[in-house]
Amino acid sequence: MMEHISGFSLPNSGHNRDAEASKMGMWLFLFTELLLFGGLFIVYMVYRTLNPESFLLASFELDVALGTFNTVVLLVSSMTIAMSITAIQLGDTKKSILLLCTTLLLALVFLVVKYFEWSAKIHHGLFPGLDVYKNLPPGESLFFFLYFFMTGLHALHIIIGGIIIAVVIYRTKKGLVNKDKYTLTENAGLYWHLVDMIWIYLFPLFYLIH
Amino acid sequence: MSNTNENHNEKEQVHISGYKEHFSTLMALLLLTMITVAISVFGANLRSLSVFTALLIATVKVIVVAYYFMHLKYDKKIYTWLVLIVAVLFVSFTVLTSIEYHNR
Amino acid sequence: MTSSALNLNYLQAKKGIFSWIFSVDHKRIGLLYLYSLITFFLVGATLGILMRLELLNPGKDLFEAQTYNQIFTMHGVIMIFLFIIPSIPAVFGNFFLPIMLGTDDVSFPRLNLLSWWIYVIGAIMAISTLMFGDGPADTGWTFYAPYSVKTGTNVTMAVLAAFVLGFSSILTGLNFIVTIHRLRTPGMTFLKMPLFAWALYATSWIQLLATPIIGITLLMIAAERVLGVGLFDPSIGGDPILYQHLFWIYSHPAVYIMALPAFGIISEVLPTFSNRTIFGYKAIAFSSLAIAFVGYFVWGHHMFTSGMSGTARIIYSILTFMVAIPTAIKVFNWVATLYKGSIDVQPPLLYALGFIFQFMIGGLSGVVLGALAADIHLHDTYFVVGHFHYVMFGGTGFAFFGALHYWYPKIWGRMYNKLVANIAFFILFIGFNLLYFPMMILGLMGMPRRYYDYLPEFHLPNMISTFGSWVMAIGLLLMLGNLIAGFRRKREKIGRNPWGTGITLEWQTLSPPPVANFDRMPVLPKDGPYDYDHKPEIKE
Repeated sequence: MMEHISGFSLPNSGHNRDAEASKMGMWLFLFTELLLFGGLFIVYMVYRTLNPESFLLASFELDVALGTFNTVVLLVSSMTIAMSITAIQLGDTKKSILLLCTTLLLALVFLVVKYFEWSAKIHHGLFPGLDVYKNLPPGESLFFFLYFFMTGLHALHIIIGGIIIAVVIYRTKKGLVNKDKYTLTENAGLYWHLVDMIWIYLFPLFYLIH
Repeated sequence: MSNTNENHNEKEQVHISGYKEHFSTLMALLLLTMITVAISVFGANLRSLSVFTALLIATVKVIVVAYYFMHLKYDKKIYTWLVLIVAVLFVSFTVLTSIEYHNR
Repeated sequence: MTSSALNLNYLQAKKGIFSWIFSVDHKRIGLLYLYSLITFFLVGATLGILMRLELLNPGKDLFEAQTYNQIFTMHGVIMIFLFIIPSIPAVFGNFFLPIMLGTDDVSFPRLNLLSWWIYVIGAIMAISTLMFGDGPADTGWTFYAPYSVKTGTNVTMAVLAAFVLGFSSILTGLNFIVTIHRLRTPGMTFLKMPLFAWALYATSWIQLLATPIIGITLLMIAAERVLGVGLFDPSIGGDPILYQHLFWIYSHPAVYIMALPAFGIISEVLPTFSNRTIFGYKAIAFSSLAIAFVGYFVWGHHMFTSGMSGTARIIYSILTFMVAIPTAIKVFNWVATLYKGSIDVQPPLLYALGFIFQFMIGGLSGVVLGALAADIHLHDTYFVVGHFHYVMFGGTGFAFFGALHYWYPKIWGRMYNKLVANIAFFILFIGFNLLYFPMMILGLMGMPRRYYDYLPEFHLPNMISTFGSWVMAIGLLLMLGNLIAGFRRKREKIGRNPWGTGITLEWQTLSPPPVANFDRMPVLPKDGPYDYDHKPEIKE
């Protein structure tokens, strides 16, 4: 890729494969994701401070059982992807792929549950712009706007994470990810854990704080 | 790509976490989830307490995920420091903003 | 590859447009940014001159009020998001950071190319508001809610453009941080890095950690407009001031994204033309980090008159005064660097001195605005406009031009006409001060900003200001014309160290650099990057 003047090349080249650099890059990217959601958490905090009663009332509309179920699904998927990194480090490609597929499956389960939750709310007219939403008392509409915006953005991250995991599975199958070169699996894991972490906060803030 | 020099990678040792460790981590996380749900569902009259505890438990869970699942325990210390700096920064944002709204 | 092909420099190595727009070479990407940025700078400057023309006389001269509003919004959006935020990091950071660290590229070369493409897409989106939809936004570059949600103009596209441009900024910052951590040449510890690298390091952290907040805020504005709900609408329990908080949580640190790299440039230019070590290396390096850190917590000083709580105002005011400390430390160190140096007055040094003079005026007027009582009088007057342009144009803009003159021989292997460059600088300097100093006086007299009309008593300073804008335009054209004419000057080839006193690693390689940046191992000075007592011999 890089043509060097004959007989000389620099020791620290940007074109070397550097697993540590990739990992650091991923962490830095996670920080930006964290602050992206952070901005939304600030909005949530302020509006909850300004409209405590409406937020309380609106939160009763959400289904705690489904929320808890999804939390458990995400936590388990976090474990399976962490285990798949262990497997690839030990050189057990088959087990790694199996665990990655499990993670992908759990991501699908999460999205299906989310779909049913959302469509129930939309059916009740609670989506921004629908009739019931327009007539909600002040504060409650803010709650639902934030609910859809934040869980929607989170679901988008689940979808992106799922695509990344699918890529990792493909590349592991082709042998491009292996015992000596597993940065991709590690970074996919880091991303997936971040998605999990955000849900860890979203869950109590929307479903539990009665 | 020219892969001749890999002078960063040779000296860096990798730690491999065991399956058992991951499983115990999950169990701890599930336990914490059950506690939050229980407090919220059964202790609904202790409202202010439940807001605080729910966020506290969520924070503990996030730390557990970062420390074990995300390998902060075994990685270079710089990552832990960076995470802490980012956390401090975000908490400062929220505190500064909420000072405003609690003193209107 | 034949051996002759291997010895070509980065400009000659490959030919054709595609070898540029899909290049992963940090030097070519830096130049791609340079050409795009200069284009947008000229567009933005033209809009600024049109605004000054409207303000030449009271009353309506050229535009309707609505058009004027759209012009100043466009001027702000182009100058801030398309020019000054990427400016120094994207052009000179991309080009020189890897060379100064003694490596051949950034850590993620392809990501680097991607961030230029994202920049281009964002720029096209921003410019497209001129042609499509209901006309460009008329909200001011701050997009304040609730007006930005209610206006009929094409705010949605403008806001999404800023969101996309934010991504470009984040990726550049991310790339630089990893590069600085991973690719320093052996022997170069953090405390042996050039100060420009330190400035970029601090800047990159701001880009990385502040930009996402504006991203999500602007996305909320877009969602509000599309879904037709008032997230910042008080009638449903929302709060417009919250928008201002979120906006300034990013946009105040953003002024340090614009200013810190300029500080880095000055810290490079002064030792070279004083032929002596920088005074207070560590103080300059760490004050960059201090500015970056404290700068995160002062955003409230943009909102003193918004109806924010008194307690919060006092906290923000104190924190604002604190940012002045590390900035003053830098200015002190720069002046001390000049003291007893053997000063060689060349165009880049003139720009650096112009920077210090104008940045002092800009910085001190900022302290005036940070004082609660004074701000009540000065808020949203021309004093703010004057202050901002003194810091951003008189500061960062001049540093950008200074860097262009400083590294010009290294980038293109040619030299411009120095006499013309000096004349252009003085015209630019005089024009700049004629243009912006009257604004400070107008602000103190009470002239509000963002109106296309004013009372007759403000006439004289406005005339001087508009006259200044013409002088400055002449200076700008002369400067750019001289630089472009320099390309054509074949004359002598430029050596490795054309200023004779450059000490950082870029002066040890060929001008222009080869594709892999170095043709032999760079040698570090013994005690830190500006150790003029043990300056390595540079053989041609």
